[in-house]
Amino acid sequence: MIEVRDLSKTYTVHEKAPGLMGSIRSLFARETIAKHAVKGVSLDVGEGEILGLVGPNGAGKTTLVKMLAGIIHPSSGTASVLGYTPWERNNEFRRRIALVMGQKAQLWWDLPAADGFLLLKEIYQIEESRYRENLSYLAETLDVTKHLNVQVRRLSLGERMKMELIAALLHDPRVVFLDEPTIGLDLTAQRAVRDFLLEYREKHQPAIILTSHYMEDIEALCKRIVIIDGGGFIYDGPIEGIAATYAGQKVVTANLKRAGGVPVDPEALARFGTVLKAEDLEIKVSVDRERIADACAWILKTHAVTDLAIDEEDIGSVIERIFRERRVDPA
Amino acid sequence: MSVRLFLQIASMEARRRMSYRVDFWINSVAGFAAEFAIVWFLWKAMFAESGAEIIAGFTFEQVLVYYVVAILVGRLVRGTEFEGQPSEDIYAGGLNRYLLFPAPYFGVKYAQGAGALLPALVQAVLFGTVWLLIAGGRGMEDVTLLSGAMAIGALLLANILYYLMAYALHLVAFWADNVWSLLVALRFASGLFGGLMVPLALFPDGLREANSYLPFRSLFALPAETLLGRITPEAWAFGMGVGSAWVLILTVVVRVIWRRGNLQYSGIGI
Repeated sequence: MIEVRDLSKTYTVHEKAPGLMGSIRSLFARETIAKHAVKGVSLDVGEGEILGLVGPNGAGKTTLVKMLAGIIHPSSGTASVLGYTPWERNNEFRRRIALVMGQKAQLWWDLPAADGFLLLKEIYQIEESRYRENLSYLAETLDVTKHLNVQVRRLSLGERMKMELIAALLHDPRVVFLDEPTIGLDLTAQRAVRDFLLEYREKHQPAIILTSHYMEDIEALCKRIVIIDGGGFIYDGPIEGIAATYAGQKVVTANLKRAGGVPVDPEALARFGTVLKAEDLEIKVSVDRERIADACAWILKTHAVTDLAIDEEDIGSVIERIFRERRVDPA
Repeated sequence: MSVRLFLQIASMEARRRMSYRVDFWINSVAGFAAEFAIVWFLWKAMFAESGAEIIAGFTFEQVLVYYVVAILVGRLVRGTEFEGQPSEDIYAGGLNRYLLFPAPYFGVKYAQGAGALLPALVQAVLFGTVWLLIAGGRGMEDVTLLSGAMAIGALLLANILYYLMAYALHLVAFWADNVWSLLVALRFASGLFGGLMVPLALFPDGLREANSYLPFRSLFALPAETLLGRITPEAWAFGMGVGSAWVLILTVVVRVIWRRGNLQYSGIGI
């Protein structure tokens, strides 16, 4: 449903020296620099698939989504979404896609959501019976039926995001772009949105591209993720594959007896890896895979251990570490 | 874009605009009263100072009627200006939402503008009625059904013409962060050369002749003079012809700017 080949986007941005003189100088001559937001990326997304797009701020996630939704033109490369070139903005293409932007309200602020939905019904030429059926299903599933006639600006953030989702899905899009759909929401609302998206995917099987800074969203919704940084993909594969590819370490956790044990010595523990916790009742240390046996043996030998566990590093930590290391050594 | 969609968008914008009751009345009464008071004092002084009974073909009563009509025409022509204009959409990224719609951006925005006209229409009817009650039709002796019908045609043309002029300037926001000064310049130029600030009969012959080929005259003077029966059907047809030609020219200009601007639109704001 989505095919992208060597897609790039370069912005030309102006630079101005700080201060008054810089401002005056920039009136006559400005320096321009090329900012490569997306660099030759390729990907395919199929029907019913939710692809997680993960990356730090400025990595190029939103630029990629904007190109695929047809909002901006690329500098080079090709993309086909449902057989259409997105930036040609064919009306049939636009009737079959949706974009939800967590940081930008789409609905009309001063009007009740129900009025906005009626307008969308006309814009997308949704048949009356289909409109009623979809609105009823979406509002009930997201539990916002009683808020439909309230002005959008008077809704809570969570309720507003649910309305945004309804607005985006009323016309049964086959491809959905979700850009930070849970940003700023409390945990309950985040979970409700996630549960809804899973149910919606199950029922309608659209292709979904999701960007989120919340790893809970990515882990709950996506089987496949793409990690993007500096405009390029650094990983594209199953979510479980990240640990195998990048997690060179495992986390050893030991629960200790309440009394009578030897005091925990963080310095001694640090010989095996990064000490995550060193308290009287619990030790947690991130250890290179080849040193796990040594670390466990030492802990068992020197402390009164009640329980010992060896876990994979959680995916969020792995990704965070990848970005951290790339910041230090971008090469 | 279907008529049904156009009307639906216009209706929504009208509802939104009318929901701000205080804004509506402040804008209606205070705005109109201020404009009319300035005109009244200015022309009272001019007639008193010159001692003339007629200036540029207008008696004092006729010039007041002209201004009442021109001010109300001005509101109907410029009524499509409202918050959420194209330049703001481009600057703040609000355009993104519209680019996703399977409907032309220009059409959607113009429909919104048409909806925003409803308060201006209510004001025009309200103040027109009040004026008729006060003035009793003095200075409006040449108003006929035909002149009214012709004025409606001129008003529709003026509305789309002004919208296109403003829209072209709004689209400059693809390259410039702020186009406010351009819009102020348009407002001033259109007011002066369109016959809103002073009747065009006051202009020297050469300037009046040149101005008749520019788009401004079609904006306010043409509908107002047509309604008041101050121009011949031939002059009306010429004005409509010039205005229509400018609509075509601006349509082409707007299309070119839109296409070029889109290529470098970055959708900042999402």
